Amino acid sequence: MPEPAIVLNDVSKYYKFYEREFDRVREIFSGKSHFKKIEALKPVSLEVGKGEVLGIIGQNGAGKSTLLKVLANTILPSSGNFSINGRVAALLELGASFHPEMTGHENVYLSCAIQGLKQQEIDEVYQEIVSFAEIGDFIHRPVKTYSSGMFVRLAFSIATHIDPEILIIDEALSVGDGAFSRKSFDRIMDFKNAGKTILFCSHSMYQVEVLCDRVVWLENGSIRKSGEPVDVITEYSELMRISAPKEESLERASVEEKDNFQHQVEDANIKSLPRILDIQVSVDGKVSKVHKLVTGESDLEITVLFDPGEGVPMASVAVGISGGDGRLITSAGTVNEGITLLANEKGQGVARIIFPKLSLLRGNYFLDVALLCERGIHLYETVRQVAEFNVQQSGLERGIVLLPHEWLD
Amino acid sequence: MNFVQGYARNIWSGFLTPYRSVFSHWSLYRILVKRDIVNRTSGTMLGKLWPVVQPGLQMLGYWFLFDIVFAMRANRGPGYLEYLLTGMLPWLCIAEILGRSTNMFREFSSLYRRNPFPLEILPLLVMTIPCVVYGAVYFVLNFFLGGAERALMSLMVLPMFMLWLLPLAMILPVLGLFIKDFTQAIPFLLMITMFLTPILYFPSMLPDGVRQIIWINPFSDLMAVVHGVLQGMEFSLINLVRPFLIWLLLMGPAWLVFKRSIPHIREVL
Repeated sequence: MPEPAIVLNDVSKYYKFYEREFDRVREIFSGKSHFKKIEALKPVSLEVGKGEVLGIIGQNGAGKSTLLKVLANTILPSSGNFSINGRVAALLELGASFHPEMTGHENVYLSCAIQGLKQQEIDEVYQEIVSFAEIGDFIHRPVKTYSSGMFVRLAFSIATHIDPEILIIDEALSVGDGAFSRKSFDRIMDFKNAGKTILFCSHSMYQVEVLCDRVVWLENGSIRKSGEPVDVITEYSELMRISAPKEESLERASVEEKDNFQHQVEDANIKSLPRILDIQVSVDGKVSKVHKLVTGESDLEITVLFDPGEGVPMASVAVGISGGDGRLITSAGTVNEGITLLANEKGQGVARIIFPKLSLLRGNYFLDVALLCERGIHLYETVRQVAEFNVQQSGLERGIVLLPHEWLD
Repeated sequence: MNFVQGYARNIWSGFLTPYRSVFSHWSLYRILVKRDIVNRTSGTMLGKLWPVVQPGLQMLGYWFLFDIVFAMRANRGPGYLEYLLTGMLPWLCIAEILGRSTNMFREFSSLYRRNPFPLEILPLLVMTIPCVVYGAVYFVLNFFLGGAERALMSLMVLPMFMLWLLPLAMILPVLGLFIKDFTQAIPFLLMITMFLTPILYFPSMLPDGVRQIIWINPFSDLMAVVHGVLQGMEFSLINLVRPFLIWLLLMGPAWLVFKRSIPHIREVL
């Protein structure tokens, strides 16, 4: 049986709260405790296999970040023990160890050395780190002169070039913007494909479900459920919906929002990134931004025209219909349904979808459109509230949707 | 017996662990020393000359004040200026180490807050640069004062202080981090300690009653050894034994305190 990558035995973590700071000093010098416990992680036992992608979900304050910090060795557990079989790279706070006065070159050596690399090992990966980060001659300038994009590119490049066996990711599956965002996403996917162990902590249930082999749901510092992603996420999402319907509804079927999407193209392979050119929404053949529909009678057709970019695989498209309160009613995506999009004669990507005899019940609804990578994970662009639907109905049915049904004798 | 064994174990591991850790994180240690030099010199016109120029200027200041202005003279033995320079330069190094140790955890927080950083190398790190810089100046100074043999002997002085200061370099950062008043008080404490150490004056200049008091201070013993070895002044075995016993007394608890403080340090900032 192969050795597991991570084993936790009753690992717990509580933070100490002292009424007076002097009590802390007294404790350090005398060994006698004078604090109140703030429990962040109750005793947790967990085993993560080599090559496994483990998702960690839970509400804010559930203990996710604490668990990741313990595993990244940045805080010590209060009790229990854990073993990690292999080098860990943590994408938690990128560039935290950078020294602003030192050059990028010096910071590469400093950060790698902190991660435990020897001089010779750093020499071997140095060139790869620099070329991946795409910061050119800036590598010889102090990092305080870097733009935020350059800073994060260099930090990400260092974190992922130390040849980790275990990758810890907190929320973001990509960093930077434009082409680098896509490139960093690819780099993380390369780790997955190479059979590296990944711990992925996220609030995006969609990404967790797509990426992870197993999911652990943390609640109040304990494991509430662990198992197949679909089982755990379904139960978790249901609880979230009941306890905080508005909060849950903000999460769309596609991916997280990116407000300042920029088409900066810096990777030699990626010449240009996909982007949405036009979205046409028609009801019964009539194109408009605001539509009136009738339950069970109107056909809704959506056409998305996009520039497929250069140097990247053909993108995918997802659409979602939300209610007036923001809750997602339904969604459809080309990746999920195995549809491969093609380019038209002008070289533009085209995605067309029809919802025949739309069965939404009375109310106002909105359409969102997202352009994603070929895996349906990495978001290139999203357009919210592309169109508004005002649905009328002839009958007295209540609810959101009229399901196909038949009364039996 | 258990207490003694435990105490001895703490002394042993407190002394060895930082050196072992530096050895196993040699690449990191080297880079951090370099980073330290960058910190001191970046943005200055003299750049990397400053670490050497600064102690030189300080020595010049003390020489001007005590040799020219106060016209202090020795009754017998070596000249006052030679005596002053021989004791003052190591003291400046000690003062810098102790002052910086007090602020050590704050200064290096960016390194260990979100990284698996070996904290036990920090006490040695804050001592390395002053020892190297002051050591170089001290070597040159002693060469001019007494030739090559004395210069070579002087190379042992600052490493000796570095060994002796290790327990203080473990306790002071903890006090400095958690008791902010201590950081404020340290310049005063260092000044008092300097006055209680025979650096600016010969012990023979003190009245008989007061002369005994300065031997409460272990730095007086260490300075007596320094002056004895480099200038041929009188010193005895007790000047070595006393600091060594104090070191033994401090090393174990210092390591225990340092170890206990690590979880606090990672979380408090």
